[in-house]
Amino acid sequence: MPAGPLEAGILARWQLSGRGSPAHVLMIEDDATIADMYRVQLEHDGYRVTIATTAELGFTTMTANPPDIVLLDLLLPDRSGFEVLASLNERFPSHPPVVILSNYGEPAMIDRGRSLGAVEYLVKSRVTPADISGQIPTWIELGRRGGQGES
Amino acid sequence: MTQAAALLQNLAAAGFVALGVAIAYRWYRERGRAQAMLALALITLAVVAALGRVGDPQHPLAVLSLVEIVGFLLSGYFVLLFRNEFIPLGSFAFQAANLLLAISIVVGILDVTALAHADPRVATVIVLEIIGAWAIFTGEPIARFWLASRNLPAVQRARMRFLSFGFAVLIAILFISVLGGSALRSPTAIVVTELVVLMVIPAIYVSFAPPALLRRIWRMGEEDELRAAIQDLLIFSPTREVLAERAATWAMRLLGGNAAFITDPDGKFIANAGIDPARAAHLMAEQRKNPLGAPDRVVAVPLPLTDGQGSLGVVAGPFSPVFGTEEITQLRAYASSVSAGLERARVTERMAAIESNKTQFLNLASHELRGPVTVIRGYVSMLEGGLLGHLNDRGRKAAAMMSAKASEMNELIDEMVEAARLEDGGLTLKLVESDLRDIARSATFSVAPLVDSRHQVDLDLPERRVRVKVDPDRTKTIIANLLSNAIKYSPNGGPITCHVRARAGIARVAVSDHGLGIAPQNLHMLFTRFGRVITPETEHLKGTGLGLFLGRQLARLQGGDITVISVPGKGSTFTLHLPSASAAEASANGATSSAHGAAGEERVHTNRRSTD
Repeated sequence: MPAGPLEAGILARWQLSGRGSPAHVLMIEDDATIADMYRVQLEHDGYRVTIATTAELGFTTMTANPPDIVLLDLLLPDRSGFEVLASLNERFPSHPPVVILSNYGEPAMIDRGRSLGAVEYLVKSRVTPADISGQIPTWIELGRRGGQGES
Repeated sequence: MTQAAALLQNLAAAGFVALGVAIAYRWYRERGRAQAMLALALITLAVVAALGRVGDPQHPLAVLSLVEIVGFLLSGYFVLLFRNEFIPLGSFAFQAANLLLAISIVVGILDVTALAHADPRVATVIVLEIIGAWAIFTGEPIARFWLASRNLPAVQRARMRFLSFGFAVLIAILFISVLGGSALRSPTAIVVTELVVLMVIPAIYVSFAPPALLRRIWRMGEEDELRAAIQDLLIFSPTREVLAERAATWAMRLLGGNAAFITDPDGKFIANAGIDPARAAHLMAEQRKNPLGAPDRVVAVPLPLTDGQGSLGVVAGPFSPVFGTEEITQLRAYASSVSAGLERARVTERMAAIESNKTQFLNLASHELRGPVTVIRGYVSMLEGGLLGHLNDRGRKAAAMMSAKASEMNELIDEMVEAARLEDGGLTLKLVESDLRDIARSATFSVAPLVDSRHQVDLDLPERRVRVKVDPDRTKTIIANLLSNAIKYSPNGGPITCHVRARAGIARVAVSDHGLGIAPQNLHMLFTRFGRVITPETEHLKGTGLGLFLGRQLARLQGGDITVISVPGKGSTFTLHLPSASAAEASANGATSSAHGAAGEERVHTNRRSTD
């Protein structure tokens, strides 16, 4: 079996993190089934994954173990994803890129997510974990460039 | 002639006395300050008229003359007080009126005492001063009432105008007879003026106590208008509250009242026109406590509703004519129409609530379904990708099938979300100028996976661009849905064509098949929400019954429509009509949509569908 694209992908992600360690994905998602599924795909693809099932746990991770990208659900037990995003903007002005993954695709919600600075807004059922995993490097890159633009 | 003149003068005086007595009697029955003032005015006028016929006109008694003069002045002053009861005078105007009264009385005293035998020119000036004061006292209210009456219900307006008219004629007669001098002392002139006075008396009486016949005549205009408006009122009032509010206003107009109210069987006010609920409740209680106490000022009739008996009431204002049997009968008849309308509104509101529950359910269910579908699609895609271990051929086939079905499920959910959005007004269209040929092409491409060896989809496009201003994604969905229906309902195969053309400002996409076709009696079901035509040939075919409903609604939101021609057993042609880009500009602010320009795109919001 040739040591093909898989290893190359992992290598790329190691480099992407810029710290010689795998890129760290924080997924704030209260549905354990969905979170576990994403963990399988993302860890398979070489990412370090932290799952936070509440907004509070998400903030703890933000401080203790800063991620390179945040995948954010909108319906959380303790507060809405929009509130999380707003607090992130306030408490961590140079926070990593945030991608919203929601069951809702209402235009008003998409607009709101975007205006709060989410790099992408996706309806969960329309994407597969592989789609997300494949896009993460692009989003991280986008976040870096955006961050530089701001500062 | 002289005798005739004298007779008529006596008759006119007798008429005034009769008027005074009648009004005194009515006042005794009805009371009320405003009515009292008017009654006093007319009674004093009657007394003056009567005194005028007593004694010898050539040698009048001084005391009698003084009483006449003061009575005459007071009759005018009472008309002013009558006006003051509901259109209060300013304090300055009131003091000026009092001063004028005082001066005139002094002048009157001088007239009958010191100046009794003065120069006739002085006498004329004195008479003019007194009549002038009276004319000011009565003339100002006449003008004011006439102006104020314009905003009142027709019945009250007619009544006020009768009153104004009567007094205006009296003023005119007095002035003419004084200023006309000897020319009007001729018996003929007296006959004419007294005849006019005799005609005015009923007018004044009528303004005070209009008979049923006259009230009916006054009401006629309002009844005609109500007849014209009743359908709008009962059938097209948007809510039960609005209907009740409108119905109360009409009841008020019909009877010439100042206020009206409608209560539910539990006594809750559902409409108050011109009155606050507390006051209305108080009046109702008064009425119940003492039905004879304040007759005719509040009239309430029962309003039969499914859950009991409500009431419809009208409250009289200062100018409302009496509420007699006639009015009560009228109000009862009207109340039964109002009951029917209120019941209809209740049913409609219940149905709207059910509709809205359905929409909420659709919304909730579809979003809840997305969770499980996400997991199924996710794991199936991982299975297919080999992430969870290697699959054998059969496993791979099964995974591919599951993946396709999960995607189908996802599309159905999207349809449900879209339908719910359409219903609750949350749909936002992004209108962009596009080439309909491109949209048709991508729609055809998107249904390619459904096409098997039996089917063949031909795309027939014109050479020139077909410019339309539409939401491209949704238009693509509409066409793709028409195509997938054409494939689905042609189980025996056959050519399917997608034909795009633009003519006379309308762009059309016609999707034709040679499939099962639809029986004419079933066509109406096609575009309804969840409406599916189930026949032995189609019962095994799956669908939500939302596709065509959505398609037509979305087409209509964009200023177009979907039409169908079908022959059972031969096939169907569904045509999507859309305004061409130039025509779309013109109709962008059409009835179905309101457009707001926003950063190069236009958004069209749907409105809640009214359930009528």
